[in-house]
Amino acid sequence: MTTEQRNPGTGNAAEGGPSDANPEPMGTRQALRQIRKGIVVMWWAFFDWLAAISWKALLLVSLLVLILAGILNRPNLFFFLIVVSFIIKIVAGGKRRAEQTASEATKRAETEQFERSVLEARMEALQAQIEPHFLFNTLASIDQLIQTDPPRASRMQQSLIRYLRSAIPQMREGSRSTLGQQVDLSAAFLEIMVMRMEGRLQPVVSVPEGLKSAVFPPMMLQTLVENAIKHGLEPKPEGGRLEIGAEVVDGQLAVHVLDTGVGFMPKGEGGVGLANIRERLKVLYGDRAELIISVPPAGGTCATIKLPYNIAAASTSPQ
Amino acid sequence: MNAGTRATPAPSAVVADDERLMREQIIGRLKEAWPELVIVGEAANGREAVALVHSQEPDIAFLDIRMPGMDGIEAARALAGRVHVVFVTAYDEYAVSAFEQGAVDYLLKPPDPARIALTCERLRARIKEAPDPMNDLLAQLAQQLGSAGVGPREYMRWVQASVGANLRMIPTSDILFFRAEDKYTRVQTPRFEALIRKPIKELIEELDPKEFWQIHRSTVVRVDAIEQVGRSLSGKQVVQLKGHDEKLEVSRTFNHLFRQM
Repeated sequence: MTTEQRNPGTGNAAEGGPSDANPEPMGTRQALRQIRKGIVVMWWAFFDWLAAISWKALLLVSLLVLILAGILNRPNLFFFLIVVSFIIKIVAGGKRRAEQTASEATKRAETEQFERSVLEARMEALQAQIEPHFLFNTLASIDQLIQTDPPRASRMQQSLIRYLRSAIPQMREGSRSTLGQQVDLSAAFLEIMVMRMEGRLQPVVSVPEGLKSAVFPPMMLQTLVENAIKHGLEPKPEGGRLEIGAEVVDGQLAVHVLDTGVGFMPKGEGGVGLANIRERLKVLYGDRAELIISVPPAGGTCATIKLPYNIAAASTSPQ
Repeated sequence: MNAGTRATPAPSAVVADDERLMREQIIGRLKEAWPELVIVGEAANGREAVALVHSQEPDIAFLDIRMPGMDGIEAARALAGRVHVVFVTAYDEYAVSAFEQGAVDYLLKPPDPARIALTCERLRARIKEAPDPMNDLLAQLAQQLGSAGVGPREYMRWVQASVGANLRMIPTSDILFFRAEDKYTRVQTPRFEALIRKPIKELIEELDPKEFWQIHRSTVVRVDAIEQVGRSLSGKQVVQLKGHDEKLEVSRTFNHLFRQM
């Protein structure tokens, strides 16, 4: 091994072996390439070994090599090799240290990144609570209905009140929310949207009564519902159906929002709300929760949140 | 200059909003403020509005900014110079002040009678002149709104792939790498693998080059998913991934991506 590492010399210390192929006769070229490959492998193995080995061990090995040199009676060559090894050790040791500090720095940066994203996810979730466009459009609609159809204006206003009543407490942090609360919020939202979009929106909410006490993070279902309307149904002239459903499969609560709209656009903007849900799920449940976007056979989009099924403790704050 | 060219002397307008109630509201209030104004058509989105202006040639178009499909800003761009545009919106996030210097007006829903009377007064004065093409204003608004056509190039953010019998949308941020395998391309995430038909060569065109690097003829890896780059015993660069055991070989053509500093 030691005799061979002379050949590559110091030329290609950093890179895997740049091609400086000098022309050779056809037959020997193949063989030379093989030898060259072998040398490169040896060289790197030697390099890594030098980088990893302790100084003490290296000194010991050097001593052995010197003894060998004495036996073989080639002191100059072996002495030269040892000196080269020491130089490489100094350089390679530095490289290894640099790698270690780099990996530590990466780890630290990742932790910071994670903490920052937790904070950002929470902030965005809070900001996304009540979409101003929704609020002002609804108020403008009520204003119009007061003149043309007062009973409907009253119904819309009551739905808005129900919506705000469930949305506003969620802005306060730490409130433990249930699937039931989330479904009520979205149901109130859908009532309003049905009045505004008229025949273009047909909502179906089918969440079993027994699952309404399950723990479910705030504003995630609502984001899915808003997405389904904004990106799925609104762009479709004839509109379509929006379905909210929930079931428990293998201890996992699966809540889905399905729409029969124009289908998911791989490039479109959107995605921010979904990325936020993903981020929050990761923070809250790690690998035990996920958001799945799938395309139903009949078209449209189906978004499903799966997370561990837990019943909320009785101490939940009153709505 | 071209004031006398119109056959009908009565001013005309179209109203575009995706919600019928909102169209009714604008039309109702316009009737009170400007009884002579003839509403020649209603549109539920930008595309319909553009078609309507082309067929009816009204003097004025009231365009809701947020409409599905083609929005109000895009419609106004398509109609630049053809019609006097008044933008309507429920929530002002697009710097109303920008309109004060332009030829257009900007109404907030629900418009109160005094405000709509002012709009009508402005329009009466302007209608005799040719409509302002509003180039600068529209470019500025489109930028604020992120409308199509002006923004930076959009890359693929989701990959549609079959997982078993299901079709799923996988966010690119979840993907560790793509790898060509026979007729398909394998999409690997930390949780599962999926297959797509799109070849690597086409994929790389659509992926954000800041997010994904090609490291081999048949492999594209997400940069953030790389744990470290090491060397195999044969001296080849090998990429190790976060949370996944498979190692990916870097071919020599792409060695430069991981050149040591």
